[in-house]
Parts: sequence; structure tokens; C-alpha cells
Amino acid sequence: MLLVATTLTACGGGEDDDAKVSAPKAPATIPELTKDPLTLSFIWFDWPPAHALEDFANAEYKKERPNATIKVNTVPNANWHDAMFTQFAAHKTDFDIAILDSQHIGEAVTNGNILDITDFVKQNIDVAAYNPYLLAAYGQFPQAETGKRDENASLYGLPLLGDTWTMIYRKDLIGDKPPQTWDEMISAAARCQADNPGVSGLAFHQANGSDAAAVTYNTVNGIYGGNLWDSKTRKIDGVINDAAGQEAMDVLVNKMKPLTAKGSGNWFIDEVNAAVAQGKACIAFNWIAASGGLLDPKQSTLGTTRKQILDKLGFATLPSQKTNLVPLGGMGMHVSAYSSKANQAEALNFMKWFERADIQKKWAAAGGVPSRTDALQSPEFLNAGPFNQVYTDSVPRMRDMWNVPEYARLVNIENTNVNAALNGAKKPKDALDDIAKEQQGVLDSSGRKGGGGL
Amino acid sequence: MAFISPALLLLLAMSVFPLLWALYLSFTDYSATRGGPANFIGFGNYTAILTSAQVHQRALTTLIYVVGAVALQTVLGFGIAYLISRRTHGRGALTTLFLVPMMLSPVVVGLFWRFMLDAQFGVVNSMLGSLGLGQVEWLTRQRTALLSLIVVDTWQWTPFIMLIALAGLTAVPKYLYEAASIDRASEWFRFRTITLPLVWPLLLIAVMFRGIEAFRLFDLVYILTSGGPGVSTETLSFHVYKVAFLGFNTGTASAYGILMVLVVIVLTQLYLRYLNKLKEG
Repeated sequence: MLLVATTLTACGGGEDDDAKVSAPKAPATIPELTKDPLTLSFIWFDWPPAHALEDFANAEYKKERPNATIKVNTVPNANWHDAMFTQFAAHKTDFDIAILDSQHIGEAVTNGNILDITDFVKQNIDVAAYNPYLLAAYGQFPQAETGKRDENASLYGLPLLGDTWTMIYRKDLIGDKPPQTWDEMISAAARCQADNPGVSGLAFHQANGSDAAAVTYNTVNGIYGGNLWDSKTRKIDGVINDAAGQEAMDVLVNKMKPLTAKGSGNWFIDEVNAAVAQGKACIAFNWIAASGGLLDPKQSTLGTTRKQILDKLGFATLPSQKTNLVPLGGMGMHVSAYSSKANQAEALNFMKWFERADIQKKWAAAGGVPSRTDALQSPEFLNAGPFNQVYTDSVPRMRDMWNVPEYARLVNIENTNVNAALNGAKKPKDALDDIAKEQQGVLDSSGRKGGGGL
Repeated sequence: MAFISPALLLLLAMSVFPLLWALYLSFTDYSATRGGPANFIGFGNYTAILTSAQVHQRALTTLIYVVGAVALQTVLGFGIAYLISRRTHGRGALTTLFLVPMMLSPVVVGLFWRFMLDAQFGVVNSMLGSLGLGQVEWLTRQRTALLSLIVVDTWQWTPFIMLIALAGLTAVPKYLYEAASIDRASEWFRFRTITLPLVWPLLLIAVMFRGIEAFRLFDLVYILTSGGPGVSTETLSFHVYKVAFLGFNTGTASAYGILMVLVVIVLTQLYLRYLNKLKEG
């Protein structure tokens, strides 16, 4: 471990005299593209959209650029951040386009790891075609307090895949009409669990890795009227653990957790899907982009055809309670500052191509979740999956996390503490207070010399 | 000299240079991703680590794990070796069979134990169910999660102790046992006065190797529990990984790593002194 860390630093950062505090700029117009064979590499985590992207891009982009091959390198979800940022640290990447989570942008921008594409976007992209919140979430830094894109702010990425949570419910067990409020949902899950031995009322993300447990808490926090922080004053302590935050934690740990399967405290995307597919959950929550497999009869015990499965499964937007907020998922495309000039030019060309209206509709039909408003409302997208309408309806309700360079440490603190509360290793109130205190410590110590980061 | 110089250069480049570089960085506030100059901050990182309650908690977790796993492996490994050494037929085949877990990658071991210990679908709970016992949340409860790590590590590394103990047991001169049987010494007397004293030094060396390995535990934690629930199975190695790669506090992580190396060196030296005294005695 020590050797890896130090070799990285020896190979990378140490060679720069001046600290990079902003991203290098991409040209406004796409430079001349090479005619030689070229591989455009992406990096993402291993899930169905990554494979869909590689297939789609090689099938469609090659029609315009026959010399270009698209390669989507995948790593396990838990390694995703490290895989990208250790390469950024070495100032040498084996990928040209990093698919960054919205919260990763701050870290990448302040370290000069990705290109500033503001001028490129102005010249090549119709920004009016997008919901301003989505364009800001996947590309802008710093994020505006309104959440909407600030026309004067810089852009560092463009949307690749939109996402949010969908509620998956068993129509045959709780009825055709999905619960409308969070309280109704909990009651319906409790009734369903009592009436169907062996089937748990709820299934949701609780795992310790990645952002699994943190997103679950953030979702309930938003629905119960809480806030993650006050971005203006950079205050977390006293905000996330206020009365609304405490109520959300209480609902999550004391009302929702007892309705989950025993030992589900380490469940993430795949485990929740497995529980639904095996008929072991009445109501589940999962990312829309990861829900496609639920309709595959080979992976499901709910039916031998897609129709039979859909007779039992319903997909709906998240119920509301005090507010109607839903978590923002999805990712944007960001050009590595360490990629060769030829590959950077190809990456910009790919992004311009990918964001075209006709390509976004084709991407939707291939299983992707687009971000352009026209594609979101197109029949190609809405007919491609039973959960796609959920995404279109959820877009105006989205809320993201903190988009700051300290994101990785903040989410780790939240994840481990929520996971501890869900698995009985900490009292809910203590977990929330610890999150507030530790996260505030990270924000306050950012920039302080020495000793930070423990 | 010319003959060994390539190997020496490789060693310097791959081991000595990074170690010295880490030592230098441990006195700075350097971050691998933020770049910029490495400002000298003296023992700031070391003070922060040694006074951190989080580090103390991880140290305790690591200590419980190391003591629990190594003790269990030593007892089991020696026991199995003792039983095998008494067999005349099939000893080789049995030894090979017992060595299989040790030959597997820790990642593979972690993954299949993760499936076996799954509370809902795992074979372990299924067996407990068929015996009329309830489900156990092996990987998601504070006490059982650490116990699971100890059990899995023991499953994989008991053969290592067994192998070394077996080497010691087969090296005990037979005439000692023959003399003892002429004197009609009991089985327990033979074990206590002949077998154990002669195998003991070799066993202690095996314990030292296992102790050092267990102290560095990372892979099983990463695969089985991700340090959870919460941080209750987060070992020092797993924690330093988070410091190094989540926050990219390279200076702090370097100091952390240096301290871990120092702890191992000091403890090993003390242990070796004890071994030497034992040998002299």
C-alpha cells in the first residue's frame, strides 16, 4: 500500500512546481481529427449501461468515424473513484474520457485533471435543449446554489447517462396503485410482509461501500424536509442533524429497516435486484439505469416472459412526504487533461456527436437514459422501458449531494455511519451527530496543512 | 558485484526509493492529486495519527483480529499437524489436501466465503437452518463480522502453521520416543517433554510470520465487509488505504505507513530476542 502510494507520487505530482488550481481549457472548435486508427477509451464502473455504451458507440459512432474504436474500461463500483483519481494523481491516464459522478467534478477540476469545455460547449452544444439542472449537475463547477446552470459559470462535462431511483412494487401483492406518500409506502410494505411470509416488505441500498447507504439516507432526508448542508456558509453540523434530519434517520432505521430481509445490511444494486427478481421483496428502490435486468425472464422467478413479469412488477416515482425530492444519479463525460491531443480532439468530437438530438434518441432506444429534454419526452425513450416515464417525471424533483473537492471523504463518513446505524453498530442519533461533526471537520480542515484526512 | 547489480538496482528502484520517498513525504503536507510543493510540517502527521481516536479504534480492531486469528490458527495448525504426523499411510495426500486453501488467492477466498456467509442465501445459514438453528447475520453485525474475518483467515492460513509444525514434528529424533517408551512414559509426558519443546521454536517462527501478515490484513476486509458494519472491522491497513486514496492525503498516509512498518519492526525485534533467548536456554 505504502509503495503504491509513494510510487504514484514519485511518478506524478512531484514534478509540478506550481499547484494546479483550475482545469486546462479545451479548444472552442474541434481540432482536425486523425485519419489513423484510434481507440477512444472511457472509464466507468461495471454495470449494464457501461456495456450498452460500448456496444452502442461502436455500432453508431463508427458510421461517422470508421477509424475510431470505443473501449469502455470497467472497474468494480467500489474502486471507481480510486481507479480514476490514482491515474489522475500520476498525471497519466489510460482513458480519454472519465465518466465522473457529479460530485467528483470538484475534485477533478481543482486538481486540473479534466478539461474546461466552456468554450467548446458554447460553440457546439445547444444548451437550451437540456433541463438546466441536469446540465449543471453533470458539468458545472462550482455548483450554483439554485442547482440550475449558471450561464456565466464554467462547464467541465456533458451528460452521458441520467438516473434517479425508481420505486419497484409488486402489483400482485400490494395492488396496482403505488403508494403516494412515504408513510403509505411503509404501511403497505408492513402489510405485505405480514401477509406474505418469506417476502420482506422493503429492499434498498444499505452497503458500506461506494455511496450506497449514504444515498439512501440522503433520499429519506430530502423527503422529510431535511438538508445535507448549507452551501453558502459551508455548515453541515446543525443542518444535517436538525429535527428534520433526526426524523429521517428515525424513519430509516426504526421504521424501514425492520421491514428488510435479515442480513441485508450489505445490499447494494445487485442484491436489491436479486431480491426483486426472486420475489423476495414487496417494495424496492433502485437506480433506473440498473433496473433493466429485472425484466429478463432468465434472471427472474416472477414469470417466464417479460409480460408475465410486468404483470407483477410496477415502477413508480418515489412517494413524497414533506417534500417530493428524489436523488440525482447518473454521470457526465469529462475529457482527461492527460490524454493525447489527438484523443482529446476525438473525445470532443464524440461528445458533440453524442449530444445530438437524433443520437440521444438512439441512445435511449439502446437502453441509455438521455438528458436532452426532447429525447426524454420522445417515444423512443418512453417506450424503451417501463421505468423510463418514471425518470422523465422525476427530473424536476431531483436533488444532488455536495459538489465539492472533499466529496470522497464526506461520502465515506456518511456511508459508514448510516451503515453502522442500519446494522445496529451505532444509535441512529449518534450516527447522525457523528456524520455532522466529522463532515464539518473535513470541510473546515480542507486546506489546512498536515494531519487532515484521518 | 556486476552479476547482482541488475537485481540490486531493481530492489533500489522498487523498494528502497519508494520507502525513502515515503519517509520524506511523511514530514510534509503533500497531496498526490492537489500537486504543488510539499511543505515541511515536522512531526505534524505523526502527532495527528498517534493522537487520533479513529486510529486507536482501528488499532484495537487490528489487535483483536491478529491475536484471535493467529491463536486459532496456531492451535488448529499444530493439532492437525500432530494428528497427520502420527499417520503412516496417506500422510502426503492429507497434507496436500489441507494445503489447498493456502494456495488460493485471498480475493477468491473472500468472494466465495461472502456467498457462503450470506444471511439469506448462504450455505452456512442453510446448514444452521436444517439443524433447527436460526439465521445468523455473519457479515452485518458488529461481533459476528469480526469473528467471520477471523474464521475465514483461519480457514485459509491454518495450513501454513500446519506445514511448519509438520516439518518440526517429523524432524524430532525417533530415538527419543523409543527411549521414552522403554521408560514406559505416558503419551502426555512424551508430548510435554519431547514433542512440544522441540517443535516450539519452529512454531514460534510460524506465528511471527502469520502475525506480520495478519497485521497487514486488507484484502479479506475489502471483499467481505468493506470495514463494516460502520467501521467495526476496519483494520489499520484498510484505514490507511482510505486516507491515501479517498482523501489523497499523501503525507498523512505516508506517515501512517511508516508507523505501521515501525510497529512491525519493533515487535519483530522483541520477538526475535525472545526466540534467541529460548534457543540459548
